[in-house]
Amino acid sequence: MGHADRRGLAPAGARAVGPSTIVAIDSLTPGARAAGSRRWVSVALVAPAVAIAGFVVLGGIGMSLVQSLGLLPLVGVPSLSLDAYLANGDELLTGLGLSLGIATASTVLSCVIGLTAAVVITQGRITGRLVAALSALTIPVPHLIGAAAVGLLISDAGVLPRMLGIDGTDWPDLVGGPWWVAVVLEYTWKESAFVALVVAGVLASRVARYDETAALLGASRARRLRHVVIPLATPAVIVSAIIIFVYTFGSYEVAWLLGRPYPEPLPVLAFRLFDAISLTSRPEAAAVAVITTAVSLVVVALGMALLRRTPLWR
Amino acid sequence: MSASLALDSLTKVFDGAVAPALDGVSLSVDAGECLAILGPSGSGKSSVLRAIAGLDAPTSGRILVDGADVAGVAPERRGMAMVFQRPLLFPHLSVLDNVAFAATVAGQPKREARADARQFLELVQLEGFGERPVTALSGGQEQRVAIARALAARPRVLLLDEPFSALDPELRTDMHALLRQICQQLNPTIVMVTHDRDEAAVVADRVALLSAGRLLQHDTVERLYTRPVALAVARLMGGRIELPGEVGNGVHRSALGAIAAPDGESWPEGPGMLVVRHEAVHVAPLESAVPDGMVAVEVVVADRRARGPRAEISLACGEAMLEAEVPASRPLVVGQRAITHIPRSACTVVPLDER
Repeated sequence: MGHADRRGLAPAGARAVGPSTIVAIDSLTPGARAAGSRRWVSVALVAPAVAIAGFVVLGGIGMSLVQSLGLLPLVGVPSLSLDAYLANGDELLTGLGLSLGIATASTVLSCVIGLTAAVVITQGRITGRLVAALSALTIPVPHLIGAAAVGLLISDAGVLPRMLGIDGTDWPDLVGGPWWVAVVLEYTWKESAFVALVVAGVLASRVARYDETAALLGASRARRLRHVVIPLATPAVIVSAIIIFVYTFGSYEVAWLLGRPYPEPLPVLAFRLFDAISLTSRPEAAAVAVITTAVSLVVVALGMALLRRTPLWR
Repeated sequence: MSASLALDSLTKVFDGAVAPALDGVSLSVDAGECLAILGPSGSGKSSVLRAIAGLDAPTSGRILVDGADVAGVAPERRGMAMVFQRPLLFPHLSVLDNVAFAATVAGQPKREARADARQFLELVQLEGFGERPVTALSGGQEQRVAIARALAARPRVLLLDEPFSALDPELRTDMHALLRQICQQLNPTIVMVTHDRDEAAVVADRVALLSAGRLLQHDTVERLYTRPVALAVARLMGGRIELPGEVGNGVHRSALGAIAAPDGESWPEGPGMLVVRHEAVHVAPLESAVPDGMVAVEVVVADRRARGPRAEISLACGEAMLEAEVPASRPLVVGQRAITHIPRSACTVVPLDER
């Protein structure tokens, strides 16, 4: 630690003293040194966790990047190239569009339904408690189980068409169909429960009194929702939306189970290439993973920028 | 914009509660009047306000605004605005948009709503603060904005729920002055809940004193102090002198002696408690003459307690005990004999039991 740092930690009164007395000041600021050593202790305590997380995250991304650029081939001489990115160019673009579509639809639907559920929950009536209980019960169910359940429920041979007495051939292609309805539905079911609980938690602590105040200023229920409740919930919704988008964009099993074989969303494409017997497929899988990660990071950055623009965050 | 308000046998029993939070409260507030609802914690003050605002439905009784029963009318349609103990400014809106909130939700164009809001910010002496976020305000400024926001809604009745109790004494004095100024300029009907006797005295035209959900007395501030109708009123208003005795032929006889009712007043015959404000008790030297209309009682100083610029004195008169306040500089010592002069007009007799 340099002198400048030490002066920064010294009491305000000591700052007026000239540079020639810095040595004397150093001997007069045991509090500053104690604060400095405490900071080092904190850093030392956090370091192991940061190191492991950094190794996994940055190491993983770094390895994927290096592999996708042809610098870590399974066989042959390493050489810098974009071949892995170009090898499945069409599939990559289609997969990117498909993944963005699924993630966007799932995120928007989850946020709308989740926010509605949160408002119902914070009203505190019996319906609210019922919705809260349903949301809480949804959270622990794994996506894989959810996907299997959705498949059993709404496929053309599923429980729902049978209950409704509709023939499988007349039932729309919800599972494995062109619109990926079952995939979006499964994500929406799980993630709207997540939004509902996160937003209800934020609203519960503050919305009741603001709601009363707004009512007494003449705001109808609809106006209160628009001018008070939704603005208060916005930061929590944005944060939830970022999490949901990144999760659904990078999630594999639901799209694999309930989607159609072609085209493939990015995670399904990446896993198929990773698992392929062709030795050149590994860098191609890494390229898909790198693009998935890059898009996710861009979405996180955009989401955080949006969050900073909300008046509550400022 | 001001409306008259009347409560008719207002009763509220909360679910699971044994005793009612409000027990048949009836009172009226004239248009443009400021009423303070005064009472200790748990007396039902805020319940009255919430019932008037429509936030809680009363168990029975009626609330009349300009003579019309408002039962079943939603809070947003009652034309009331409320300022709570916490300012509750909307954190996602600027100061100006907070004040413009009522106009905005009423569908006024934003520019008009803001121009209107600026007038109310000026009224609470916060011109130039409009563009600030609400987090950039001090506690006193926040409460001023809350008042401006409530007034900008043009309420028929303005409800204040202990709005200044979280502020320090100096700021409270400023806010009291502001409220008086607002009353002069806009003449709104105000119902203010407070537990502070001094605040009620400074701000209100009349005071409704509540205890355990019941209205004890609804009167002017002066009469609450000098003409309490019950022992509980005298005690809640800080009265310290209580002399049990009996009234016969309009004269109360107690350890203090015989004291006749003030001119033009009569006391109920039989047992009664004589109550006098300690502020009315004047301690004079032994040989001093007794002015007209005063009751003179010889006393001995039994105790003296310093209270900053004043001193509280306990005075023994046989078995009876009187209280008085004197300037701290006055050399009255324990054991010293003196004469107290009590104005007859300051004496009141109330029933012996506390109800």
